[in-house]
Amino acid sequence: MREHNLKIGVSGIRGVVGEFLTPSLACAFARAFGTFVGAGRVVLGRDTRQSGQMLQHAVSCGLLSAGCGVVDVGIQPTPTLQVYVGATRARGGISITASHNPPEYNALKLFNGEGLFFNHYERRELLDLYYQSSFHNAANAEIGRITRDEETPRRMHIERVLRHVDAERIRARRFRTALDGVNGAGSQLSCQFLERSLGCRLSAISVDPTKPFPREAEPRPDTLGELRDLVRRENAEIGFGQDPDGDRLAVADETGRILDNDDVLALVVDAVLARLPGDVVVNLSSSSSIDDIAAAHGRRCYRTPVGEANVVEMMRAVKAVIGGEGSNGGIIFPAVQYCRDSYTGMAFLLDLMERTGLPVSALAARLPKYYRRSGKVAFEHGRLGPIMQALEEQFPEAAADRSDGLKLTVADGWIAVRASNTEPLMRMAVEAKSEEAAESMYREVVKLVS
Amino acid sequence: MTAGNQLRISQVGLRGVVGRGLEASHVIDFASAFGTFLEGAGPVVLGRDPRASGTMMREGVVAALLATGHDVLDLGIVSTPVLQHAIRARDAAGGISIGASHNAAEWNALKFFAARGTYLSTAEASELLDIYNLRKFHFREYRELGTLRHDHTALDPYLDELADFYDMTALGKLKAVVDCCNGTSSLILRRMRERFGLNLILINEQIEGVSFAHEPAINPRTVSLQLAPLVAPLGADAGFLFDIDSDRVAIATERGDAVSEEMVLPMLADYLLPRGFGKLVITNLSTTALIDEIAARHNGKLIRVPVGRQASMDALATYRPEQISIAGEGTGAVMMPQFRFVYDGIASMLAVLSLRLERGLPLSEIVSGYPRYSILKGEVPLVAHRIPHLLMELQRTYSDGVADVRDGLRVAWPGRWFHVRVSQTEPLVRVICEQRGDPPTALFEALMEQVRSMA
Repeated sequence: MREHNLKIGVSGIRGVVGEFLTPSLACAFARAFGTFVGAGRVVLGRDTRQSGQMLQHAVSCGLLSAGCGVVDVGIQPTPTLQVYVGATRARGGISITASHNPPEYNALKLFNGEGLFFNHYERRELLDLYYQSSFHNAANAEIGRITRDEETPRRMHIERVLRHVDAERIRARRFRTALDGVNGAGSQLSCQFLERSLGCRLSAISVDPTKPFPREAEPRPDTLGELRDLVRRENAEIGFGQDPDGDRLAVADETGRILDNDDVLALVVDAVLARLPGDVVVNLSSSSSIDDIAAAHGRRCYRTPVGEANVVEMMRAVKAVIGGEGSNGGIIFPAVQYCRDSYTGMAFLLDLMERTGLPVSALAARLPKYYRRSGKVAFEHGRLGPIMQALEEQFPEAAADRSDGLKLTVADGWIAVRASNTEPLMRMAVEAKSEEAAESMYREVVKLVS
Repeated sequence: MTAGNQLRISQVGLRGVVGRGLEASHVIDFASAFGTFLEGAGPVVLGRDPRASGTMMREGVVAALLATGHDVLDLGIVSTPVLQHAIRARDAAGGISIGASHNAAEWNALKFFAARGTYLSTAEASELLDIYNLRKFHFREYRELGTLRHDHTALDPYLDELADFYDMTALGKLKAVVDCCNGTSSLILRRMRERFGLNLILINEQIEGVSFAHEPAINPRTVSLQLAPLVAPLGADAGFLFDIDSDRVAIATERGDAVSEEMVLPMLADYLLPRGFGKLVITNLSTTALIDEIAARHNGKLIRVPVGRQASMDALATYRPEQISIAGEGTGAVMMPQFRFVYDGIASMLAVLSLRLERGLPLSEIVSGYPRYSILKGEVPLVAHRIPHLLMELQRTYSDGVADVRDGLRVAWPGRWFHVRVSQTEPLVRVICEQRGDPPTALFEALMEQVRSMA
């Protein structure tokens, strides 16, 4: 297989720092971005990766040379940056983060003036500017300044989140919480948020933004062993695990068990719908439990292809009040910002615990029960199509959705296969009402794929 | 200046009009080449002049140096001599100065320094250019990247060194007016006023990024603009004008007369040669012959080298520092062994004031006390392939003089010389002609005529 160490595409630029992701490349991309958004302020922030500082200066150079001013917000969770971009009416924003990818990677996440991912047409336009090197080159008198503002984004973000939960009552409960911040951009904000804003008692690990990632960056059951131990040792009522740029959230219950990300999303959807009237949008590989919860609240659940931008686009179209992506721990709550936001997730879970008086394990047990299996195999060009055809033949009675790979919905569950947007992988997921059904369907898929 | 692509890449670095030739990619690539070229463990020291584009260039330079594995020490807005001092004081691996010195505000440039704080030698500069042209950069993996630190404490140690050599208390008796031209000199001079009680009146002292009060060139014309008319009314003993990065100085007398930039080196040699350092004076082939007389007066030895910073740096490298008294050009750029062979306008100003104090005479009388030389300068657009023919013709025409062919053609007679050479930075032939006493008008006209006929 070819090494995918650099990816330049409609979702931006991502790669291994050094040989592939160089300062010249980052600068050139920022010049295209600055040319695209036009002269004005662009907000620039980063996660805690060791290459962040280097790339920040390269991006800043490119933005200034295109005639933009730079608002340097320093180390900042991506959702926090997005809130700030939208609230301050900047021309756009760039977050230097490879999110949950390993530490040798970095990437630029690009946002428009509302703090949202660019839509498909905008991304194509930006990419054209980059490939054609048609950049605006500001003369001395047009060159903007760099200003710094690290505190306002955090304050704004927290204020917005707290508006939607009963912070007073959460504080009164003095919840015992645990946190694994992966030494990421959210490390310090999360401590401040849980301890000061929500009055929790907090036991935190990996909250030093100057240190490297102590574990694999993606927060998953198999990477959060330390959080599990911490919850048990400290008798915490809930544990939170973040990714390096604070958009994804994983949760441990009071026994230390790491919840399935789909269950976390389902709980938050339930908590939000209990407070706000409106519909739900999730991607097509999120659990059917979310449809059930929406239905229980008399609301609709819409499905979109995988990818935050897709979910957000649909949420805006149907004016959804909550949405997200189950598999990757993304909770999107538009009243704060159209973005994946771990802070909204934490607040609503604590709110739910406070209102129901139930422990997390009991809240999870109340969810509609589905059994899920998922896996991934190396992607090879030209293989997905035949696999999709074979699957369809295998399950002739299923309803097929081809908006992103193939999703087949059968009587008591569904099967989805698709190509990853960010990695050279093919992902497979299966869900069913019974464990046996899930197992047997997953075996069918694996047989076809291998 | 022509409107086309205003970018120059040469052994002295990268220079151009920002956004009209000089782009972010040039900055990143050139700094990446330097980061790849530099060996040695210390940090790379970085400073800039106040041009608005300096921020953009700084960002690109920092990114490239971090990416090539170097720690960066950013001094912020400082003069080039202060930066060069810091390179040695901090045991740095090298340094980069962002600033376009005497050019207009639209310009900017990168200048590169070795670990000793001096400009790169010709061999080093060639290697840097090769790396740049091949784009063979050594970008490090994420664990080997450098880190950035800011440091705003470079000025005082630099001033300590000046105060060791000059008698600041005595100099406090003199009054000087200084035109800072909105550049870095104002930061230094304000601090000198504060620390040493020097009597300095500053004009155009506000640091400016976009529009300077006037063109920051070092010559009698710019001195006459705002500075010269102020010196006498303010009762000052002298007037000084600095370019943006303070590596050169121009002078006005107490009467408000602009002194030729050619006079700076002879006056400083006159002050320094008797002070016990070496006896060598190094200058280029185009510099006034007054320097020959001054050197001879103090038993000094004059060494002339081709024009340009590289030739001077290479010549300096062939002598022990203690052999040298002074080195410089007729442009007002002078370096002294006491200050690590760095072109330093502030150190030059202090030497002129010290000379003034030592002689006890008004500056105008000191200047008029030197034998009078008259210099004429002209330039003609170049047609490259006819240059060799032109020079051979000239050599034949003026075969009665002493010819020097190391940089174009210089021919000298007693009390008179001319130099015809090709500019390194612009497509021009330069003609310079000097005579003791009255201007050598006839010779100059004849030379210009002959050069024009070839163009």
